[in-house]
Amino acid sequence: MGLEIKFFSLLKLELKESGVEYDLDGLTTIEDLIARLDQDYEGIFSEKLLEDGQIKMGTIILVNGTNVLHLDKLETEVSEDDEVSIFPPSGGG
Amino acid sequence: MAKLNEGLMLRVNLTNQEVTEEEISKELIKEYLGGRGLASKILYDEIDPKVDPLSPDNKLIFATGLLTGTSASTGGRYMVVTKGPLTGTIASSNSGGFFGAELKFTGYDLIILEGKADSPVYLSIVDGQVELKDATDVWGKTVPETTDYLQQQVGDEKAKVSCIGPAGENQVLFAAIMNEKNRAAGRTGVGAVMGSKNLKAVVVRANEKKVEYDKQALIEVVKKHTKILKEDGVTGEGLPALGTKVLDNIINENGIYPTRNFQEGTFADVAEVSGEALVEKGYLKSNKACYACPISCGRDTKLPNGRSGEGPEYESGWSFGADCGVNDLNAITEANFMCNELGLDTISAGATIAAAMELYEKDYIEQEELEDGPELKFGSSEAIVYYTKAMAYREGFGDQLAEGSYRLAENKGYLEASMSVKKQELPAYDPRGVQGQGLNYATSNRGGCHVRGYMISPEVLGVPEKLDPQELKGKPEWVKIFQDLTAVIDSIGMCLFTSFALQAEDYRDLVNVAAGFDLSVEELLAAGDRIYNLERLFNLDAGIDPQEDTLPKRLLEEPLPDGPHQGSVAKLDQLLPNYYTERGWDEEGIPTAEKLTELNLK
Repeated sequence: MGLEIKFFSLLKLELKESGVEYDLDGLTTIEDLIARLDQDYEGIFSEKLLEDGQIKMGTIILVNGTNVLHLDKLETEVSEDDEVSIFPPSGGG
Repeated sequence: MAKLNEGLMLRVNLTNQEVTEEEISKELIKEYLGGRGLASKILYDEIDPKVDPLSPDNKLIFATGLLTGTSASTGGRYMVVTKGPLTGTIASSNSGGFFGAELKFTGYDLIILEGKADSPVYLSIVDGQVELKDATDVWGKTVPETTDYLQQQVGDEKAKVSCIGPAGENQVLFAAIMNEKNRAAGRTGVGAVMGSKNLKAVVVRANEKKVEYDKQALIEVVKKHTKILKEDGVTGEGLPALGTKVLDNIINENGIYPTRNFQEGTFADVAEVSGEALVEKGYLKSNKACYACPISCGRDTKLPNGRSGEGPEYESGWSFGADCGVNDLNAITEANFMCNELGLDTISAGATIAAAMELYEKDYIEQEELEDGPELKFGSSEAIVYYTKAMAYREGFGDQLAEGSYRLAENKGYLEASMSVKKQELPAYDPRGVQGQGLNYATSNRGGCHVRGYMISPEVLGVPEKLDPQELKGKPEWVKIFQDLTAVIDSIGMCLFTSFALQAEDYRDLVNVAAGFDLSVEELLAAGDRIYNLERLFNLDAGIDPQEDTLPKRLLEEPLPDGPHQGSVAKLDQLLPNYYTERGWDEEGIPTAEKLTELNLK
């Protein structure tokens, strides 16, 4: 098993994909993951999720249900079998 | 022409059909702003909070906000304020669309409706003429039928209609008041009060816009705000693309998506019913904006069978979906359309069916009671559609559902099945995984509600900053500020969604420029604090015990069984005392004399 990444909201609609599974293969942090996703999806991830190299206000990145802002932000480590859920800035109510 | 710092009220006595105009004092407007605040003050001064909400002694107020009808972004909202029949608390329910702005254009800031008509009537304010007219022909009609008919009657398709459907006529305790067919002053049963007065509708049309303010100065502020709202990720991109239903997956992935009447915190079939699914299945036809709104979060939808309407919004989709264990987006949307047509609050309607499903599955409701109705089993598409109609018409078992989940569960001897606060059904976030939101539910002045202080914004969405949802420290302070700011936004007639991008300073600028006030941010928030305390005083005088500042037993005692917050309960007991202190209330939850003096409420 590798790392399971789930796309939601505009990412899911624009990419027409629900997610992707990656082998870790040198990928250790969320920052690495976004770089890998950018390579595969023409830079859309950093464009939607980041601002000045930091997580944009309202972006939600969860590792096994916990927001990375309460872990180590972009330096949060990921490991085999983790599930990462990614949402661009979103709100409602 | 009316300046924004002046006010004119129309008083309509339905019993003797007398109609009078009264000026509203400038001092009151500065202290209570308009809308929710001003109407609450008038209601508190004019009725005994102990009145039976469905008696002629209750009053029903339609109020525009201070900035309603101006160019302020989203400045088109109106509120209906009364004593609520579902909760027994003060009720104020808020709606968008275009009715609010049109009411303001007539020159009236507020309409107060008193007494009870002998037979069905509607109030018509068209081109300066105020009349009470016979509504016998539309009594019993749905919201769209009533709207079309009354526009024909007044001879102007641009007339705006706010009306009740059969649910309001039948005094379903969570009946809504609907404007322009699909916009709802949804919660707290304001529609039942309107029905109890034999008032079917209010129709407004102005041939000239009687609103005076410095348009050039205000447009400069509005331009700046429109740019902020357009560039913000939430209001400029997420809400326009997916509407409020963008939340289904967010809340589910965070493990706080109440499922099968709050028995679980995640729904396995969320992908079938989410906002993304609404787009992918082709149900979404177009976005829809309210008056002066640059966000456009409304959803015009069409089902494969050709039925069309608005919705579902996040809360409505959840109440008929995950909360009832239903994974059929077609049936959920149909139930939502029916709520709009029959005039029901979608949250309480779906959540009451969810409670009934738990009661049925646990044998507190016998199959014979359902008469010809389908079994109330979690996951039943047939049940959500069938009982939505049955409750609006109070047919068969629907008559018991029409009383809401609290009275139903109490009557069946299993109160735990009612997931409500102060007898109003909770919305779509399990507080066991968001502690501040739980405190907000417990202390909301209109019973279980998410839009009195939307703590999901900082605790889950990370706006304006990300707070740890399980942290307790600092939450009472956040809840108070959110509740006060929300009271301000409601009272000036703007949409709460603007607060994803705008700051308190932005609202202050609008108010000062448009109304000619010189308020500081602190003074503006103090108005919110004043409104919140006034509502609290109403509730205390109505006999609402502060011990009702609580949550359902399940949320306090039974740990969430699944998801990232598995094992957590709502820790309200650790938050409430600090909240009372922060509010300037004593340990019993009563506002202190010092606090009331500070807010000029004594």
